[in-house]
Amino acid sequence: MVAASMQFEQIAVDKVSHRWLSKTRKPTTALAQTTCEFAAGKITALVGPSGCGKSTLLLIMRGLLQPSSGAVKFMYGDGSGKLQPGPAPGMATVWQSFNLLPWRTVIDNVAFGLELAGVAKEERHARAAEAIRSVELGGFEKHYPSQLSGGMRQRVGLARGLVMMPDILFLDEPFGALDAQTRLYLQEQLAAVVEKSGKTVILVTHSIEEAIFLSDTVLVMTARPGRVAARLDIDLPRPRGFDMQNDPRFGELFNEIYGLLRDEVRKSMLTA
Amino acid sequence: MSDQSLRAAADQAQADNAHDDERLRDDTWWYGPVAMVAFLAFWEVAVYLADIPELYLPRPSVIAVTLYDLFAHKGLLYDMMLTLYRIFGGFFLAAFVGIALGIAMGTSKRIHATFDIFISAIYPVPKISLVPLLVIWLGSGNIFQIVLSALGCVFPILVNTIIGVKQCDEGLILAARDLGATRSQIQRKIVLPAAVPAIFGGLRLALGISIILIVAAEMQTAKYGLGARLQLAGQILETGQVFAILLLLAIIGILLTKGQNQLDRLISRWRTN
Repeated sequence: MVAASMQFEQIAVDKVSHRWLSKTRKPTTALAQTTCEFAAGKITALVGPSGCGKSTLLLIMRGLLQPSSGAVKFMYGDGSGKLQPGPAPGMATVWQSFNLLPWRTVIDNVAFGLELAGVAKEERHARAAEAIRSVELGGFEKHYPSQLSGGMRQRVGLARGLVMMPDILFLDEPFGALDAQTRLYLQEQLAAVVEKSGKTVILVTHSIEEAIFLSDTVLVMTARPGRVAARLDIDLPRPRGFDMQNDPRFGELFNEIYGLLRDEVRKSMLTA
Repeated sequence: MSDQSLRAAADQAQADNAHDDERLRDDTWWYGPVAMVAFLAFWEVAVYLADIPELYLPRPSVIAVTLYDLFAHKGLLYDMMLTLYRIFGGFFLAAFVGIALGIAMGTSKRIHATFDIFISAIYPVPKISLVPLLVIWLGSGNIFQIVLSALGCVFPILVNTIIGVKQCDEGLILAARDLGATRSQIQRKIVLPAAVPAIFGGLRLALGISIILIVAAEMQTAKYGLGARLQLAGQILETGQVFAILLLLAIIGILLTKGQNQLDRLISRWRTN
């Protein structure tokens, strides 16, 4: 039992392995005995070569995919340093391909989670409208996703997650499908939204700049089958603006992470 | 930028917005009706000038008068309502069965594996060849007509529903699960709406099949109904009546197609841009 006084402190990934089965091809081992921790209240980025299993790990942590072996635990502590597993906190995910329901308007998309939970129409619309304003999409409530640009769609995706008031926010390559300028702008906006929220954020990305710009900690994964190869603390001050990239420390961190990734990317290209 | 040039830019923006109600217009809508009128006029004049006997080819004006006469004095309304009842009876029966079974087959591998072989076996059988058997079982009344039509309609609806359900974007289902959807919520709020365009495609095909089957079956076995009247008129060489009933069937076909187009547009508003 987790006492009421205990606080959620980390997500512990314990020797998680996953094999994807296919009808036509040999099974692929996406994750092999991965063990790592994600601190509560922090922004942690997972970077790695494409196909290294970082999105698979995100699905497993979110509870949307059963791993072949191993487990994900949500650890609670009372401040004494001793941790014990407890119930999963509220979670929400923002997807690379947005995954908005095309037949629903913006407001009905954002209110979808509340609707599933049985929240009355008036309240869920009020809360959804507030979330829509918080991502600067006021006035677009009645639009359909097909009438919005990619950047606007992803802001709807973000609002749909935030309206659930999750303790943990999973971001699966959230800006991967967007053009470079939109990407920069949304990174800034996201930083502003989550920096002060105290939420636990797990960011999967293949962009090293994005990982450094947004996160407190960067985990570097190996090529398939993925494991966590290195853990770096990003000691850049907050709040971070886009000019952060000119900071010499930013360049050092970039070089360090790229150095770690370079060989893994090469490996993944040779085995693919 | 100076104040003045800012104001000029704002004025310009306002001027651009003044035409915000402009929309692309479909300016070819009248082509079809005009072509039809031209065709009918040619028919009318050509038959008159060539002096073709009415037994072979009546003029459009004669056909129109005959159709009016059939409705006004010969009880054609009853036959038309009966035929429509049979057409829609079979269509709705097939829609109910086809959509329900299609969703079950599209979402459950076991149900799909069980029923697939029956569909493969019955689908290619020409439905009109089932008429003797169905008459033995059901007689030649309305039930027979409706069952025959449903047998023909159910397959396009069923097959399209299965395809629509299966091609549902996995990402949408993941997103719904992420937001806490239960299995039945996923079915009702994701899988079914995602399959609606495909299901509509099936319904569209099915309604056409229902019209064909009902009229054909009426010609073979029925006493009343448009098909029966058509058959009778042909036997007694009432060419005018034959054309009048064909004209009525054509009008019904146009109206049903237009109605479906409107419904389709209403339901898939989100796809138009």
